[in-house]
Amino acid sequence: MVTLVSYIVVSAALLGIGIYGLSVKRNAIRILFAVEIIVNAANINFAAFTRYLNPPTVSGQVIVFYSIAASAMEAAVGLALILVAFRLNNSIDVRKMDKLKG
Amino acid sequence: MEVTLAVPPDVVFVILATITLLAAILALQAKELIYGAIGLGISFIGIAGFFVLLDAPYLAMLQIAIYVGAVVVLILFTIMLVRREEGEEVTEKSERGEGAAGLWIAGLLAVSIAGIAALAGPNLAQTPPNAELPVSELGPVLVTQYPVPLVILALVLSAALLGALMLAKVER
Repeated sequence: MVTLVSYIVVSAALLGIGIYGLSVKRNAIRILFAVEIIVNAANINFAAFTRYLNPPTVSGQVIVFYSIAASAMEAAVGLALILVAFRLNNSIDVRKMDKLKG
Repeated sequence: MEVTLAVPPDVVFVILATITLLAAILALQAKELIYGAIGLGISFIGIAGFFVLLDAPYLAMLQIAIYVGAVVVLILFTIMLVRREEGEEVTEKSERGEGAAGLWIAGLLAVSIAGIAALAGPNLAQTPPNAELPVSELGPVLVTQYPVPLVILALVLSAALLGALMLAKVER
């Protein structure tokens, strides 16, 4: 039986995977992967909650619409930043990006 | 929209969840960054499947068009631009200690959220209401109820694209 809780559990597992990637990975592109996974976990929650509302509305789907657009922008800007960082440092290891450190 | 499936939705849900979670793990753990990007794409397709199960076919289409079609391809091109001659540097050794800590934090968080949801389960809706949710309703709601966010989204989108172009431009 697929209930709302099933979707929340899948979403929580995706969030856990994403936070693991955020805290452990050193490659900037991998960190971007982790951010995208977390955003998608949130999207599943919005779609699931709006589906199980009574009476049903499409408000949650509208939020997911905005979220997908925002996350596409975030990927574009993030990848441009990674390109700039690679040109400056010749590496995309985030632990080596310490030029602003005093 | 009535989605009729030959197999029960429970089986579809379990298969989709397995594919999505395994592909997400592959995206983060694959040795080659390219395989990681492909794993990310498979994971996004799984999430599009969840949207279909949740009666949101428009979102599923958007997910595949934007995430799989644009974001993953953008990531693949960036990987090709950024990759070194000898391939991605292997940083497995220094990840060891942080890996355990990160795994603990992430696992505790996920288990606690899932536990709270399971405890609250009886209070949450068990079955979705039968009322239909037509796809055609999304457009009118978008332009009548949320017109200002839509315009702001368009402006921010163009600003972000211009910013990305400015950042990635090679100065000579």
